[in-house]
Amino acid sequence: MAAILQNLTYQGIPIWRHDQVIQWTAQVVSGFLVVFLVAWFFFNIVGAVDEREIPYGFSFLERAYQTPIGQHFLPYETSDTFLYAFGVAAVNTIVVSIVGVILATLLGIFVGVCRLSGNWLVAKVALFYVEFFRNVPLLIQLYFWFYIVLALPPVREGYAIANRVYINNAGVSMPFPFPDGAAAALFWIALAAAGIIAGAVVQRSLAQREITTGQPSYPLIGGFATAIVVGAVAWVVISLVAGAPLVVSQPGPQGAFGRIAGGFTVSGGLMALLMGLIMYTSSFIAEIVRAGIQSVGRGQIEASRALGLSPMDTLRQVTFPQALRVIVPPLISQFLNLTKNSSLAGAIGFADLTNVAKTMTQTAPAISIFILIMAAYLAMSLTYSLIGNLYNRRIRIA
Amino acid sequence: MAKTVKYIAGIALLVTTVALLACGGEETPAPAPITDPTAPAAATAMPESPTEEAVPTPTEAMHMQAGSRLQTVMDRGNVICASRNDVPGYGFIDASGANVGFDIDLCRALAAAVLNDPSAIEIRLITAAERGPTIQSGEVDMLVRTVTWTTSRDAQWGNYAQTMFYDGQGFMVNRSLGVDSALDLQGASVCVTQGTTTELNLADFSNQNGLNIEALTFEDTAAVVAAYESGQCDAFTNDRSQLAALGTSLADRDAHLILPETISEEPLGPVVPHGDDQWFDIVKTVMSILIYAEAYDVSSSNMPSAATGETKKDRLLGFEGSWGQESLGLDQMAAQNVIRAVGNYGEIYERNLGPSGINLPRENGRNALWSDASCSDCPKGGQIYAAPLR
Repeated sequence: MAAILQNLTYQGIPIWRHDQVIQWTAQVVSGFLVVFLVAWFFFNIVGAVDEREIPYGFSFLERAYQTPIGQHFLPYETSDTFLYAFGVAAVNTIVVSIVGVILATLLGIFVGVCRLSGNWLVAKVALFYVEFFRNVPLLIQLYFWFYIVLALPPVREGYAIANRVYINNAGVSMPFPFPDGAAAALFWIALAAAGIIAGAVVQRSLAQREITTGQPSYPLIGGFATAIVVGAVAWVVISLVAGAPLVVSQPGPQGAFGRIAGGFTVSGGLMALLMGLIMYTSSFIAEIVRAGIQSVGRGQIEASRALGLSPMDTLRQVTFPQALRVIVPPLISQFLNLTKNSSLAGAIGFADLTNVAKTMTQTAPAISIFILIMAAYLAMSLTYSLIGNLYNRRIRIA
Repeated sequence: MAKTVKYIAGIALLVTTVALLACGGEETPAPAPITDPTAPAAATAMPESPTEEAVPTPTEAMHMQAGSRLQTVMDRGNVICASRNDVPGYGFIDASGANVGFDIDLCRALAAAVLNDPSAIEIRLITAAERGPTIQSGEVDMLVRTVTWTTSRDAQWGNYAQTMFYDGQGFMVNRSLGVDSALDLQGASVCVTQGTTTELNLADFSNQNGLNIEALTFEDTAAVVAAYESGQCDAFTNDRSQLAALGTSLADRDAHLILPETISEEPLGPVVPHGDDQWFDIVKTVMSILIYAEAYDVSSSNMPSAATGETKKDRLLGFEGSWGQESLGLDQMAAQNVIRAVGNYGEIYERNLGPSGINLPRENGRNALWSDASCSDCPKGGQIYAAPLR
């Protein structure tokens, strides 16, 4: 302290005009103000909640939810608890998010590359696509797809392809393998996953061999073959010991109303939601991809062409790896946007997290519900950010 | 130097903001709760109202002798009702520009009873949120705007006179499904609007009856109707009055059917301001007149001009005996005036909610009379029932 004071006086200027003093004071004062503001808001909310006797707390999570949920990927009964129902809804959102992110990325890369195509027509169509889908509000697009889906025939007049696939405005139903005995299925899934990892290892080592020795080693074929062989052997062994781990469930009309049961159904609401989210997000991704590709120096492309690489190889081996470094950070925020935009699902009747949670607020404290929703979206977004950042660290130039 | 200035400016701005926020928080007093029935003075009569002087404030009303509102209405020469003009069947603007509907007819019946002139009414158009304050302030003589009777409203708003329509959640289905009861909706997909108790009632109904209904929840009703009409769901559920009103927008209304079951309780009826027992009794009696006129088969078209010899009918029409005309301060022939002006309950229903209106089925539902007209002891299964006129 004394040293600081000495240091200040040493410079021979009054303390209140001393640059460091002013800066420190400003830091301390603004720090206090921030703390004060946050505390003020917090106690205001607590006070208001107490005064109006607004219920809060989380004891409702153990109660039975008792309300039906539209489409759900986890098994659900109305006698299940709020906590489980919340989980069911969260899984719905996670599925939409993952499927949407994968398809939007593929489509976005495709459109982004088309934007740079030398073919005038392809480039202009891609340009139109981007400008149309990113300039029309997402909610309007969702309604558009919703009405397109509604234009399909109703369930009793829908299309039945070979009595296996059913297409109608309630959704598309198809045969799907579901686990029969839980233990056997889990065991097989674990072994199949191990097979995929083994396949990846084989692919990588073969690729390394190809690079170092110059011998053609077919890494992709080797990798896939390894994974398939491991999975198939595991299947046969488990089938012999405990019966088939997965049983294909066939969809079919059921009950007085001919609703399709069994198999796997992509509901009309989910179709419309995915179409809307994918089209909308892919138009932004296309622009990110285009910007990334254009950020790669012209000389790089000319050099690879001079080396005799085909345009496709140039893109795959030279341009894209370098463009990725520019593309990945903004791409992650598009993933986050897609996940958060899926909360518009309520408009078109898909039971996503927000839609279900809003219904929950009628029988459970709204404050608690909204805290849970925020926490759930935050957790999803942070997971995406984490994965994205890890990937970004891997591809950056050391 | 510039940096310092920025800091100071920033701090000044923050301090000012905080000060403003803090002061704003302290200086804004909580508005006095106008729902407090013990402090009616908090509510004020509408100053721009031309009849401001004639309408007693609730405070005055409480201190005045019973019967003051009747006197006020007679002096003023019209009955002021709070109602609506935006829902077909209940209160709507017809092709000629007149405000018509079930609720409006109840107001006209009151005017016919008190002033012998069904057109001596003034309709104040109010929103749903304005209903409580409007009737609490006593600025209107009667509130008839699809108001569900609940105990806390009865305690805080005004007195509910009589349930004139039993609304409640119902189902609409396409006739081609061949469903004639909501209990047949086993495994059906039902579209429902979010944000009301509708969803919860649907869930309860499904659980209680083991129907395993699949609910498709939409944020707004337009999407629900679109999904239902396209067949994405087999049925849609809402309040029956809403079903009927929304039904008018369907491309082929006759292809759709409202199922007879009602799965929630929404009794609707007129409300009068607190603090005037005589006025409360008059409104209840007028509702009784409408209901018993139908039970006794007296309508605007078959009104007898002299005593018929049927005691109940003659007492209703004022030819013999009394149902309390004198004590209520009404004309001996008030019932005749009412029925001649608006008809009996059945006529009002038919005109607004029945086949000539929004086509809400009445037969075998809650809104049928409790008895058959020809045989007052035969139960008709309905719940429309009122204090006997004697």
